[in-house]
Amino acid sequence: MNNLCADIGYRSLFKHGEELCGDRVEIVEQGDSSTVIVLADGLGSGVKANILSTLTSRIISTMVAAGISIEDCVSTIAATLPVCSVRGVAYSTFTILRLIENRTAEIIQYDNPRVILLRDGKHVEFPVSEMKLGGKVIYRSLISLQENDIFILMSDGCIHAGVGMALNFGWERADIISFMETFSEVGFTAKTLGTILLDECNRLYGGKPGDDTTACVVRIRKREPMNLLFGPPSDRNDCNKMMSLFFSKEGKHIVCGGTTSTIASNYLGKPLIPKMEFPDPEIPPIAEIEGIDLVTEGVITMSKVLTYAKDYLADNESYTQWSYKKDGASLIARMLFEEATDINFFVGRAINPAHQNPNLPINFNIKMRLVEELSDCLKKMGKRIKVNYF
Amino acid sequence: MKITVCIGSSCHLKGSRQIVERLQELIAKNGLQDQVELAGTFCMGNCQNGVSVMLDEELLSLSPETVDSFFETRVFSANQG
Repeated sequence: MNNLCADIGYRSLFKHGEELCGDRVEIVEQGDSSTVIVLADGLGSGVKANILSTLTSRIISTMVAAGISIEDCVSTIAATLPVCSVRGVAYSTFTILRLIENRTAEIIQYDNPRVILLRDGKHVEFPVSEMKLGGKVIYRSLISLQENDIFILMSDGCIHAGVGMALNFGWERADIISFMETFSEVGFTAKTLGTILLDECNRLYGGKPGDDTTACVVRIRKREPMNLLFGPPSDRNDCNKMMSLFFSKEGKHIVCGGTTSTIASNYLGKPLIPKMEFPDPEIPPIAEIEGIDLVTEGVITMSKVLTYAKDYLADNESYTQWSYKKDGASLIARMLFEEATDINFFVGRAINPAHQNPNLPINFNIKMRLVEELSDCLKKMGKRIKVNYF
Repeated sequence: MKITVCIGSSCHLKGSRQIVERLQELIAKNGLQDQVELAGTFCMGNCQNGVSVMLDEELLSLSPETVDSFFETRVFSANQG
C-alpha cells in the first residue's frame, strides 16, 4: 500500500425552478484504499431525471464495487431503467471513476463531458479506448495515479453554462480547463475546487441554471496526520501522560484552550505568548508556544470551527472566509479541512468550574458535544478520526 | 507599568476584546507606549469576576464601561510627570 489517498468532493446546482436534481453522485468505498465514484445525469429534469440518475448511479456503483464487468452493468441498466413516455427511451449518461488501491484509476465514460485530468497544475489528455455496448459508445481508460492529480467529473450543465446568455456556445471544456488550472495548485480541497467551478457556472447562468449542473473533484494526495489537544484531563495527575502521548504523535500539533495551553507550555518548558490581535472580533486571539504549530482559545474557537465544518458539508459558502482569515478558528479549519487526512483528537474531560456559570454559553456538555459533532463532520469529509479521552 | 488582560473564553465573552482595543487606543493617544506594556494572557482562574486584568501584581476586574475611568485614575495619572 502506498501513502496516497483520495480527497473527493462534489456539489450540484439544481436547474432553475426544480426542487430535485437530475444529476447524482454515488461513492462506494471498497476497503481502505479503493473507491468507486459514479456521476450520473438522468434524461430530462426534475423527478424523472432524479429517479433515472439515482437508479443508474446506485446500480453501477454497487455492481462495479462487487467486481462485475462494465458490460454486465450497462446491460443491467438498460434492462432496468423505466422508459420515458415522452421520448420513448430510457437514458442516463454516466462517468465512472474507480480508484484501485490508490495506485490506478479506471475511468469509464458514457456521454458526459470528458473527465479532465490536471497533473501538477497542468492539463493532461489521457488515452481512451472505445467500446460499443448495445449501441452505446463507451470510453475506457486506465491511468496510473500520481500525487497532486486532480480529476474533474462533470455533468453537461457545466459546459452548457451561459449558452445564449453570457456566452454563445456555453462554457467550453477548454475554457473550464484553463479556469481550473489556475486554482489547482493553491491547496484547495476537492470540495472547494468543485464549489469554485460551480459558482462560476452559476454566474454564467445568471443565477438561473438552465440545466442540472454537477461537478465532482477527486484529488490524489499524501496522507497527512494532525493532532489536536482540547481540554485538560479529568485527573490532573494524568497531565504528563496526556502530554507525552500527544507530543509523541507524528504530524502537526494544535492545542486548544487556555488552561490546556498552559499545561502544554509547562510540559514543554516554553513560554506561552498570547497575541494581542483580533482578526475576527468574535474569536479570541491565538497564542504561540515554541514547538506547537497552533495555540488557540478553546470552546468559542471550536464552536466556530464546527459552524464552518457544517457549512462545508452543505453549501460550502463560508470557505471564502476561513480559507484566508487569520483568526484561530479559520486557522484550525484550514489545518483540519485542507491539510489533514488523519486526525487524532486528545480530549480532556476536566470540568472548568468557571464555565459552569449559567450566564455563560459554554459548559462541559457543550464542549463534549462539540468534539462529537466535529469528528462526525470530519468523517463525512472523508478523514480518518481517532478520539482519545482523558 | 504592565497591564495584562485576560483573553480566555469567559473574559472574551465579557468583553476583553473591547478592553484591549480601548487600552491600545488610549495608550497610543497619550503617547504612553514606552511607559506602559500591554499584554494578554489565557485564563487566570478568576472567570467569575471577569474581565480579569492585572496591573503589575494587582488583580482587578474591569468591564468595557469602566475601562476609561480605570485608565484615567490608574494609568494616566501614574505616568504623568
